[in-house]
Amino acid sequence: MKEFFLSLKRTPYQSLAIFLVLFFTLFLSTTLFISLSFFHGILGYVETRPQVTVYFQTNIEESQIFKIKDELINSNKVLNIKYISQKEAFKIYKELNKDNPLLLEMVSAEILPPSLEIYAKKPIFLPEIAEFLKKQPGVDEVVFQKDIVNRLISLTKILRYASFIFFIFLILMTIIILVAVLSFKIALKKDEIHLLRLLGATKTYIRKPFLQEAFIFGLVSAIASFVILLIIIFYFYPFLQSYLRGIPVLTINLNFYQLTVWPINYLFLAISFLISAFFGIIISVFSTFIALNKYLE
Amino acid sequence: MITFDKVIKKFPLGNIALEDISFTIEDKEFVFIVGPSGAGKTTILKLISRELTPNSGTIIVDEFDLSQKKFPQLEKLRRKIGIIFQDFKILIDKNVFENIALALEIFPLTKKKIKEEVKKSLSLVGLTNKEQLFPLQLSAGELQRVAIARAIVGNRKIILADEPTGNLDPKTSWEIMKIFKKIESEKTIIFATHNIDIVNSLKKRVIVLKKGKLVKDLRKGKYEI
Repeated sequence: MKEFFLSLKRTPYQSLAIFLVLFFTLFLSTTLFISLSFFHGILGYVETRPQVTVYFQTNIEESQIFKIKDELINSNKVLNIKYISQKEAFKIYKELNKDNPLLLEMVSAEILPPSLEIYAKKPIFLPEIAEFLKKQPGVDEVVFQKDIVNRLISLTKILRYASFIFFIFLILMTIIILVAVLSFKIALKKDEIHLLRLLGATKTYIRKPFLQEAFIFGLVSAIASFVILLIIIFYFYPFLQSYLRGIPVLTINLNFYQLTVWPINYLFLAISFLISAFFGIIISVFSTFIALNKYLE
Repeated sequence: MITFDKVIKKFPLGNIALEDISFTIEDKEFVFIVGPSGAGKTTILKLISRELTPNSGTIIVDEFDLSQKKFPQLEKLRRKIGIIFQDFKILIDKNVFENIALALEIFPLTKKKIKEEVKKSLSLVGLTNKEQLFPLQLSAGELQRVAIARAIVGNRKIILADEPTGNLDPKTSWEIMKIFKKIESEKTIIFATHNIDIVNSLKKRVIVLKKGKLVKDLRKGKYEI
């Protein structure tokens, strides 16, 4: 630690430049990571919404609807099915048009169709379910949001690729700038490095204090960028709450674990910080390693 | 033991630094390497510490064959060698103690042991009580004493001195030579110099170089221009 503060004192501008470069890289990367996680969460949420709604003719027997419902459940492609009877449909209609008495007068429960809201396990089952329903007797109309889901999936794909390219560019740029700045810093110690080599110090021994300094820079930059990000997140929390109203929970699937993204979850924040700190340390240490090699040969 | 056998060293632009050099230096021998500037004195020292590698020939230092292209035991070799430079190469941001301790910290030693060793070497070079001073507070002679102390700590067997009195006045040079006299029975000392008085007074082995060639190798020799 003494060596670290001594180095800060000796090269304050270079140290500040290293900190700022790392800070902005980690801030952008973590913002990107959190945004993508939210986007994935939203996509996951949309995927499990009622994706197929089937409206039946008004004269259909309830038993026939239940038969179709059972068949769908047995198909293993459906997560959940909600039956909306004529009476319930009328209740919903009344709620939606409570401010328009004229519309309420014109409609009764008998003219509204009973329906099933079907939640598919995966979006790829949507067309199959829709085709099956269209063939059933008493079906009036089948509506499903294939287009919306497909658009979201392709948008996520584009975002993922764009973020990946941006991230790689950001990392490369950061490493190049860091190597340049670190070379100035290390050049001030080139006599000491040369002397240590002549005295028989191993490359690892010489690298150690520089890598320790790089570790501290990576960690401190990650902490600083994450604190700023947390302040921003909590500042906009009320806005997010109103924007995501009606969405109780957003999760991302990590294969072995469903990680909650929304409402703000401390585990998700901790994972985001750990990833940010890991990248910060790796970038900083790697850049130092490259910058040092020139003086160790 | 240090052996040079038909060593040739050329620099990248083609100029020959050493040509067909052969000699053997026994353990605990004191050898002067003399010759005019550009004769190849520093090149010999740099070949021994493997700062440079020969173009051809064999160099053996304490059973290490330095002629190999790859030399993984570099650190092991250098831990046996102490180097003293004409320009001292003392780090100005470290005090006397820290400068000497630098040569010991690379070994797995305790802080207590390092302190003991530094104190012992400071007493040998006559700088007791100056361990907390910084280089800017020391004279040239004192700086060279610090450099000698740094070169001898850690039980280094071979001392390479590259014109250590080159920047010093005659009186201080003799004081430095007294330190070398104190340690000569324990170490192999290779001393590159121009200083005729010192070479002729000490009556040690003298290797004379001229334009990269070994022209004389005399036991109890003299430096004649």
